[in-house]
Amino acid sequence: MAAEAAGEAPTLFLRKATGLVRGWSVRDSMIYACLSTNVVTLGIFEFSYQSFFPKGQLLTAVLISAVWVSFLVIAYAGLIVTIPRAGGDYVWQTRILFGGLGFVMAATGWWFILWLWAPIYGNVLSAEFFQPLLATLGHPSAATWFAGHNGVFLVSVITILLAGFLVSLGMAGYAKLQKWCFYGGLVGFAIVLILLAVNNHADFVSSVNLEAQKIFGIHNAFGATNAGALKNAGYVSPSFGFTPIAASMLLVPMMMFYLLWPNWGSTLYGEIRGASDFRRVFIGMFGGLWITVLLSVLFLVLVNKTMGSFYNNSSALYWGAYYSAGKYASPIPIWPYPVMFVGWLVHNEVFQVVLILLMFLWFLAWVGTLFLSSTRVIFAAAFDRILPDRAAEVSEKRKVPVYSLILMLLPAVLLSALYAYWSKFYTYTLDATVVIAVTYLFSAIAVVILPFRKPELWKASPASRIKVLGVPIVPVAGVITIGLLGYNLYEWLTNVNYGVNSNDSLLYMLGMYVLAVVIYLIAWFVRRRQGIDLGLINKEIPVE
Amino acid sequence: MKIFFATDIHGSETCWRKFLNAAAFYKADLVILGGDVTGKVMVPIVAHTGYWQATIRGEAVRMETREELARVENQIRARGSYPAVVTPDELAELSATEGAVDQRFSTEMMASLDRWLDMADGKLRGGEIGCILNGGNDDIFEIDELIESSPCVTFAEGKVLDLDGFSLISMGWTNPTPWDTFREAPEDELAAKIEAVAAQVPDMGRTIFNFHAPPYGTGLDEAPALDASLRPMHGGAVMKPVGSMAVRDSIMAHQPLLSVHGHIHESRGVKKMGRTLAINPGSVYGDGVLQGALIDLDLKKAKVRRYLLVNG
Repeated sequence: MAAEAAGEAPTLFLRKATGLVRGWSVRDSMIYACLSTNVVTLGIFEFSYQSFFPKGQLLTAVLISAVWVSFLVIAYAGLIVTIPRAGGDYVWQTRILFGGLGFVMAATGWWFILWLWAPIYGNVLSAEFFQPLLATLGHPSAATWFAGHNGVFLVSVITILLAGFLVSLGMAGYAKLQKWCFYGGLVGFAIVLILLAVNNHADFVSSVNLEAQKIFGIHNAFGATNAGALKNAGYVSPSFGFTPIAASMLLVPMMMFYLLWPNWGSTLYGEIRGASDFRRVFIGMFGGLWITVLLSVLFLVLVNKTMGSFYNNSSALYWGAYYSAGKYASPIPIWPYPVMFVGWLVHNEVFQVVLILLMFLWFLAWVGTLFLSSTRVIFAAAFDRILPDRAAEVSEKRKVPVYSLILMLLPAVLLSALYAYWSKFYTYTLDATVVIAVTYLFSAIAVVILPFRKPELWKASPASRIKVLGVPIVPVAGVITIGLLGYNLYEWLTNVNYGVNSNDSLLYMLGMYVLAVVIYLIAWFVRRRQGIDLGLINKEIPVE
Repeated sequence: MKIFFATDIHGSETCWRKFLNAAAFYKADLVILGGDVTGKVMVPIVAHTGYWQATIRGEAVRMETREELARVENQIRARGSYPAVVTPDELAELSATEGAVDQRFSTEMMASLDRWLDMADGKLRGGEIGCILNGGNDDIFEIDELIESSPCVTFAEGKVLDLDGFSLISMGWTNPTPWDTFREAPEDELAAKIEAVAAQVPDMGRTIFNFHAPPYGTGLDEAPALDASLRPMHGGAVMKPVGSMAVRDSIMAHQPLLSVHGHIHESRGVKKMGRTLAINPGSVYGDGVLQGALIDLDLKKAKVRRYLLVNG
């Protein structure tokens, strides 16, 4: 029997036994957090909506959001080291709150709403890959087609198939790919930042005019875009800076679209847990979040230096034209991808294509996780007898979770069609964030009441020993997280500019909750008739 | 017949107590613990003049009365560790002498299990409620004899047990792991061990396999992929199958009615393998939660009437 003593004066002894693993590398964890809060595919895409709150400062909104989300990171680190397993919110809520709620929150936040994320991913792929790539290769009409209804639908279907294929492959191969994509994407991002740093505004103006003329045949694209933003969209870009704070606060609920996910892939394995685990989990998520913030700040500062108000104007004009139902058009007819504009600073088509391909790696590293959480929830619900056993079946030959893929892919295709062809539905993009925020809200509530609901579990958790001035910070962080999510939910549900609080949007979201409740109730009654009491699943056996 | 199956409690006294109460709680006729009964961690409590001191999860704890000492010992036991009260000299010797830790571990494990079996006698009404225990790959061989000697618990390893018309065969051995534990064997040897017991079964359609190792590639055996230093790869996001091919082949060949497994704590799940229902209830013993499977068998029709995975 091999024994291991920790340190010079041993405080515990381990014997050889299965499962005594070392903690994973913080760097890996940081990479996943950074890819989840993806500055390119989510951040830059969402920055283009700044004109919906035209006085708001992106820089301020990003920094305020990140500080606030840091408390969510503390709260989740507390949950992860207390009940450390892959089920995440589902396990925490069923164990700390109660079973039915856990299912409803997990089904809506980690499964149903991913149907909407599929076309959002597809739209991003269209906007940040197909459109700029085809334009750069000299096919502006094909690029414009990809910006249209059919193009967005096609790319959404491609995205769904790609994500389904990657789920079928398993994470082992994909995880390696993710890491290389991350490093490649960072190289691309560095090139973007360097080009923005070494070129001045005059270089940029002449490059835009030259390349837009060459690709789209537009004369004076720079001036036409700035003028069009003012004349048609009525938009005036704010002077770059930090104020006004109040208007910038209104951008915070938009920034959640990309900054709310540092906890997306975090879990913990290993059975001998100590305070170092909290540190490791926390640093992984926190580091990933703040790397994203650092990249975002550098990007925004350098974009302002070199592009000036063109960045905001082109986005305002593009979205204005999109929602004007043909009343006016943007001179640059595709989504104004800043990376494409930066590529134009180098008048070489091969370089421009390579830059777009390098930045595409941010998408590739991220798309494979689209249905991963859904698969886990479907399997967990099937094992809990809420879904039919078949939902967790994996084909013998190909190891593909056929039925769970069907439960994910088919509704995603349907929603993609709605998203692509019904422009009203397109405005519900932030619903995808709202529903997950509601799930997070209940986990935040769980972390706050954990010390009272499960005192023994809490006392044994490394999280209970993380204190500031004698006060355990994890529940306090939970309260601040409730504040963050409460503020955002209030804004989303009361301010029309987020596109969330229309009747149809609310009905769509409500429909998902109703669907989850109905599934749970049907399961409850069907299983009861079969003599299975679902209420037993989380009922604790008395110790004495 | 209603069976409650749990596994891999790894020394957690909370889970053991819950296991003993499970029959009454779930109204089960029989409780089965599928192996890996003993703990992996020993926490030294150093006795100084007038006080004791220990470090629990990185935090120094000082105890000044026997009541405080007992409370801390219970806390340590509850989560699956063994408290070992030592003098400073004994602690130094444990660290310095080769084999001393192993010996102390064995002593603590046996003493703890002995106490557990005494508890069982009361809770199981002196054997009135059926209780079956088995070793797992992490259990030292010395425990077998101790369990065997218990009047109210049946030790199952390598036997064909008759359960009111069903046969139960048990195998605590597993395929090799990176930790080189006690009951590991190469796949071909494991297959031979399984076949030796399976050959004695009268009717496979009325047989339950209680094999610690889950069948390979069934989703019941997914563990985090580890690198050479036993560190989870890719942020713990990548899982890989680590179950036994021999177990898988034996299930596919014999098609027992039911096959229950453990060993891979993260891989709670259910898999239909031909006519066989295979279950791994997983384990979260460290949280003091007893995961298990409630399985209702139909004696007449020889089928699994219903099952439910529970977190008790």
